[in-house]
Amino acid sequence: MLSPIYLVPRQQSPLWMRVATFVGGIALGLLIAFGILIAYGVSAGQVINEFIVFVFLDLNGLAQVVTASTPLVLVGLASAAALKLRFWNIGVEGQMWLGCIAATGVALFDIGPDFFRLPLMFIAAAIAGACWIGIPAFLKLRFRVNEIITSLLLTYVAYQLVQHLLFGPWHDPGSAFPNSRHYDEGVERLARLGWGSSHTGLWIALGAGVLLWFTMSRSRLGFYMDAIGANVEAARAAGVPVVLTTAFAAAMSGGLAGVAGAGLAAGQEYRMTLFIAGGYTFSGIVIAFIGRFRPIPVIVTAFVVGGVYTAGDTLKVFYQLPAAITTLIEAVILFTFVVVEFFSRYRLSWGVREHA
Amino acid sequence: MSLALEIVGASKAFDGRPALKQASFSCGWGEVHALLGENGAGKSTLMNVACGLYAPDEGSIAVDGQPAAITAPADAAKLGIGMVHQHYKLVKRFTIAENIVLACRDALGMRRPRDAAEAVAAKAAEVGFDIDPGAVVGNLSIAEQQRVEILKVLLLGARILILDEPTSVLTDQESVAALTFMRRLAEDGHAVVLITHKLREVIGYSSRVTVMRGGETVLAGAETAGLDAATLARTMVGEEGEEQARRDRPLGDVRLQVEDLTARRAGGIGVDGIGFAVRSGEIYGIAGVGGNGQQELADALTGLRAPTQGRIAIDGTDLAGKAVPAFRRRGMRAIPADRFRNGLLAELAVYENFGVTGVPAGDYGSPALVRRGAMKAAAARAIDAHTIHGAAPGTAARLLSGGNAQKLLLARELKGEASVLVAHSPTRGLDVSACRTVHDLLQGAADAGTACVLISEDLEEVLALSTTIAVISRGRLVGEFAAGEVSRAEIGRLMLGHA
Repeated sequence: MLSPIYLVPRQQSPLWMRVATFVGGIALGLLIAFGILIAYGVSAGQVINEFIVFVFLDLNGLAQVVTASTPLVLVGLASAAALKLRFWNIGVEGQMWLGCIAATGVALFDIGPDFFRLPLMFIAAAIAGACWIGIPAFLKLRFRVNEIITSLLLTYVAYQLVQHLLFGPWHDPGSAFPNSRHYDEGVERLARLGWGSSHTGLWIALGAGVLLWFTMSRSRLGFYMDAIGANVEAARAAGVPVVLTTAFAAAMSGGLAGVAGAGLAAGQEYRMTLFIAGGYTFSGIVIAFIGRFRPIPVIVTAFVVGGVYTAGDTLKVFYQLPAAITTLIEAVILFTFVVVEFFSRYRLSWGVREHA
Repeated sequence: MSLALEIVGASKAFDGRPALKQASFSCGWGEVHALLGENGAGKSTLMNVACGLYAPDEGSIAVDGQPAAITAPADAAKLGIGMVHQHYKLVKRFTIAENIVLACRDALGMRRPRDAAEAVAAKAAEVGFDIDPGAVVGNLSIAEQQRVEILKVLLLGARILILDEPTSVLTDQESVAALTFMRRLAEDGHAVVLITHKLREVIGYSSRVTVMRGGETVLAGAETAGLDAATLARTMVGEEGEEQARRDRPLGDVRLQVEDLTARRAGGIGVDGIGFAVRSGEIYGIAGVGGNGQQELADALTGLRAPTQGRIAIDGTDLAGKAVPAFRRRGMRAIPADRFRNGLLAELAVYENFGVTGVPAGDYGSPALVRRGAMKAAAARAIDAHTIHGAAPGTAARLLSGGNAQKLLLARELKGEASVLVAHSPTRGLDVSACRTVHDLLQGAADAGTACVLISEDLEEVLALSTTIAVISRGRLVGEFAAGEVSRAEIGRLMLGHA
């Protein structure tokens, strides 16, 4: 008879192992993704060129990565803030759309003084995003309605709203396409960093990351989030205000997503279009998961995924690969990460079961 | 005629703690044999040995007079032993026929629910069950689900049926029907083992009875006809043992006043108009068989469950309907029955577990910020003071043993000013030395003026610690006595609802 294999839980994993898991999981995922690309007919040399050389070792490529990563950092943080306490915000895109609408509204109607226009656009975007997640949050906390469904469906509602505005009242008469008018130069646009298409939205994203890191690791709110994430029943019994904390975390999540939407509009498109927020929900969840819902690893992961986005764009154009290739690579990285993470928590033991 | 099932000298230890000590059991064909004992007496463990779920450390089993090697549930099934467990193993979304195919496809030789439906209907008609094989299990009542479980073991060819507390979840009428059915099965020649702690079932429906206490068989297969309830209750809970030294302490003012407390839970008994008062320095012990409303009472007292009516006053302030933070601000502290589910944050560090209740009160830092350093230092002091082994402030709480986890919980709950402490089964699953530590801490809390409520299924513990002893049965307090003024037998009788 074959000797059985047991999964033995490891005791506490040391820091080096957690770092190795993080790096190893991503690296292994990329390797498998390379295998898929090679199977698709891209040569190994080309894969290395596209993924490593032109993306991370080339200044222009790096600038593109930074640009692609800016919204990814924000959506990763948005997902992490909610997922940390098992609030399943599957509507990051919806909140991004609302942020986009709010920022565009402020820009189109020239609300506030010029020098305060940009900050006001982002404040409005954060509030709008927070309000949009506020609906599922209220329904969950008051009536126990599953937030997965409500937040997901509200994404479609948000998109309908965007279509209504872009085909109707906010349509730019000078354009044949459903776009809004352009934001005013100098007042309503995020400044370029003078390095490719990268813009000052990067500082907003990194600033949000630092702020969230501080909140989660130092503040009372963050402590409550840890407790609720670990065991909501025990947290409630210990006197942690579960409803209030969940509401705050959800609001932070929606707010960050709103800012991501506004950043895309004010930093890259300079107007509202129908294509700003597409696909970010999935990326946000992937990034938050790989970053274990911790802001600093989330930022690092966002830059890796930004690299995948950048390389994926090139592959699509120059190697006629399907558009789904980026999503596929993201998914492979997530899968390998989850597997590697599992083996950092358990080890295999052949034969006789050991006593702990 | 040979015996249906005979177990001789069975011992079984879990992690070095004995659950069975040389226990024996024998049951003949055609009888309903009651297996009586308190919670934790070893009844279920012994029967799990018989049906192959546990391998005994020593001991032997014989079925129908032949020595039997039972190492897996499949062996037991082949020998005609079937057990209906307390928690039914049914897929709620499946129909009855689908569930039965899932469990019995080899015995039936059928793989399609449609084919099995006829066999199920035939068997049901044979034993007198009125059930529709196409009904979805999730829509059935508990009593009907139990019948499906019984059909399952019968279709697997069981001639020895073991039922683990079959009436604990049934209404009175359903219980009568179920017990009558067991009698009929026995009359048909089956051997039926009825695990129970209800005396009236033993007296009313069994022909012989075996009583277990502390993992040992203390009464083996006596004829039920010659026994009365008082004798059985005494046998079950034991003779008056050596009393542990109960500390006498002066009692102060009433700190916890509960009046007409009613709280319900879907599918549970709940508490129904409970009232009592606990004074400073008093340990108010509430004894009872598990599932008689203890959980709902503990939840209501600590603010986790809003009562539908009644008052819960701490130091004169009524808190009924308020949430946990309001209760904790008034000094309510709690030791939950399931320490890792409702007490500790297993994945977080020891110091975070220690500090979590203090944070809402502003113990470590301001409303905005938490000073983890201060929390770690306080936790380190508590680890030393309570000799919590294997714990550094940064250790994950899940790595603590049961006893040390409980010490951590107590250290957290008893720091600062506690007005009321609700301890629910605080020593469940702990070894002897950890039990003693927990008992010392509870007595220490009472010495310091805390009003303690001790809800426990362990009569020994209630008797040893309590100043006042009450008994809970079916969601009501059915008796209240000063310590030393009541016999074990009397409490045992009340616990079993045999007033």
